[in-house]
Amino acid sequence: MPVKKVIETKKLNRIFKNGEIEVHALTDIDMIIEEGEFVAIMGASGSGKSTLLHIIGCLDRATSGEYDLDGVQVNKLGKNQLADVRNQKIGFIFQSYNLLSRTTALENVELPLIYDRTGQFPNSKELAQKALEQVGLADRIYHKSNELSGGQQQRVAIARALVNNPALILADEPTGNLDSKASIDIADLFVQLNNKGKTIVMITHEPEIAQFAKRMIYLRDGQIISDKVIEKRSTKAFALKELEKPVETP
Amino acid sequence: MKRFLKIFKVAFLSIYKNRTRSLLTMLGIIIGVGAVIMTISAGEGATLEVENQISGLGTNLLMIQTKSEHKAGINVRMGRPIDEKDFEMLKKNSVWMPQLSPLVAIGAQAIGPSGYKSTMVYGVSYDYFYITSRALQTGSFFTEDDVRTAKKYCVIGQTIREELFPGEDPIGHQIRIDKVPFTVLGLLTEEGSGGMQDMDDIILAPYTTIQNRLYGHQRGYTMILGSALSEDHIADAEMEASELLRESHKIIDGDEDDFEIMTQIELQEITGNITGILTILLGAVASISLIVGGIGIMNIMLVSVTERTREIGTRLAIGARESDILTQFLIEAIVLSLVGGILGIVFGIIGNQIIYKVTGFFIPTVGYSILIGFGFSALVGVAFGYFPARKAAKLNPIDALRYE
Repeated sequence: MPVKKVIETKKLNRIFKNGEIEVHALTDIDMIIEEGEFVAIMGASGSGKSTLLHIIGCLDRATSGEYDLDGVQVNKLGKNQLADVRNQKIGFIFQSYNLLSRTTALENVELPLIYDRTGQFPNSKELAQKALEQVGLADRIYHKSNELSGGQQQRVAIARALVNNPALILADEPTGNLDSKASIDIADLFVQLNNKGKTIVMITHEPEIAQFAKRMIYLRDGQIISDKVIEKRSTKAFALKELEKPVETP
Repeated sequence: MKRFLKIFKVAFLSIYKNRTRSLLTMLGIIIGVGAVIMTISAGEGATLEVENQISGLGTNLLMIQTKSEHKAGINVRMGRPIDEKDFEMLKKNSVWMPQLSPLVAIGAQAIGPSGYKSTMVYGVSYDYFYITSRALQTGSFFTEDDVRTAKKYCVIGQTIREELFPGEDPIGHQIRIDKVPFTVLGLLTEEGSGGMQDMDDIILAPYTTIQNRLYGHQRGYTMILGSALSEDHIADAEMEASELLRESHKIIDGDEDDFEIMTQIELQEITGNITGILTILLGAVASISLIVGGIGIMNIMLVSVTERTREIGTRLAIGARESDILTQFLIEAIVLSLVGGILGIVFGIIGNQIIYKVTGFFIPTVGYSILIGFGFSALVGVAFGYFPARKAAKLNPIDALRYE
């Protein structure tokens, strides 16, 4: 039985026009990500990784090329259909969590289900509770977002991304606002979720966090310059140990 | 529908979580709706008051006077004055007006044993008391004979008694009206309604006496008052009087009347028009405050959209459609203005009560003013909420997510 393709792009191009100047943010991206993968996308700023994430996340459309997400030809969809695809197939995780302030963890996690039009989640509260249990926040469900630490807030955001059981979890610099220890915890949580079968695409510029993934794609100037399986994956224990090492200052 | 309820809940929570701001936003609407209700009700109250006073003038009343024309802001009497000949002719020939009385009005100073007052003195006949249905508290009216023989008798209103005879019984005492002594025969009952013209600030005396003693230099009457047989016959009485007067004044067909007949119904219509215009005017002024309140809502909603750009970006990213965002913000604006509207209604009703307590001027809170206030506030919510809501819905999710 062939493995299901979650993402398949063919000759994906994204050109930004700013008056006379054309910027090729992405050039001929061919990429296949299968179910159950954990991919880290790396690259310097300006390499096009954010643009790629926006296109994969159906927030933006490619100028040319094809993109299939979980069997749906995304580049043929209208605005509302794109919103529905985002709602049903993608779980977003942002660098700055983007939780609603003065709102409980539970309500935050329920948020994607409010916009569900398929009617497949009648028990949204239960689902939200379950998602929070998965990220280890069972005892914090009625805490408001501003009463939680950064790491806990990001966990709420991850629960929010999990709640509608999407085909793809898309994380944009998920550890960018966290300290090293919390970052490692979050990366480890991704590994656990991936072990349970979740497909995860994570953008990061921290190599030690990228090392937790199974596969690494490196972008430069809008093109994929390397795409390889990570052979020595990092683990929580290893990463924590690395933290203890004295930093060599010149 | 279920989704709409969810979005409604989202909108409601958002208002609740920004309680202070929401309340301040509503303030404009609260004051606006309150003002609309209070002004419309005040206009209505004034109409009621005036109507009361007009119906207090008498029953089935007709007023016949010399034609006057507005010239440069003052009434100028045209034509010949209405006089004794007209009165006698009408009294003899009129079928539809069983009661008729001349009215000779002068402003004069009345001096009593304990005080004095500038007032209106009306010279009338005995019929006047029937026509205006005024009653006595004590004493008696002057009689037909008193009128014929021009006795120096008078009947006074309550205000006059208070000024001239504080704490005393005025019956049988003398007062001086512009130096002429009159004996007080009767005291009128209180007319009750205060307001524009004090119906108790009045002295009634035989018109013959007034004409002879106080009014000698002028010919004719101020007007002739008549009372139609019944309310249904006011028009008949008017037509009849008009025909009789044209005939006796020898006015040829086609020429204009040299007199004017005003009925109580016409008087009511005229004053009704005036107070109606007043109400509309006041309401319009109050509506402006509602519009200002609406702009306040729009302003806050626009700020709120900017402030919550990232929230909107997040909602769009996790699958909200543009229409969901539009609905949410529109509901927020409408709920704000409707809640403001309801509070404004309460404010208006309480305001009316306070005005009543303080000034004694009764303002009925009229139902349609509540409807107007409420409807207007809903309209304001939609009209001024739509623009910010659309702005929110049209945000590009990528930019919105990046917004700092």
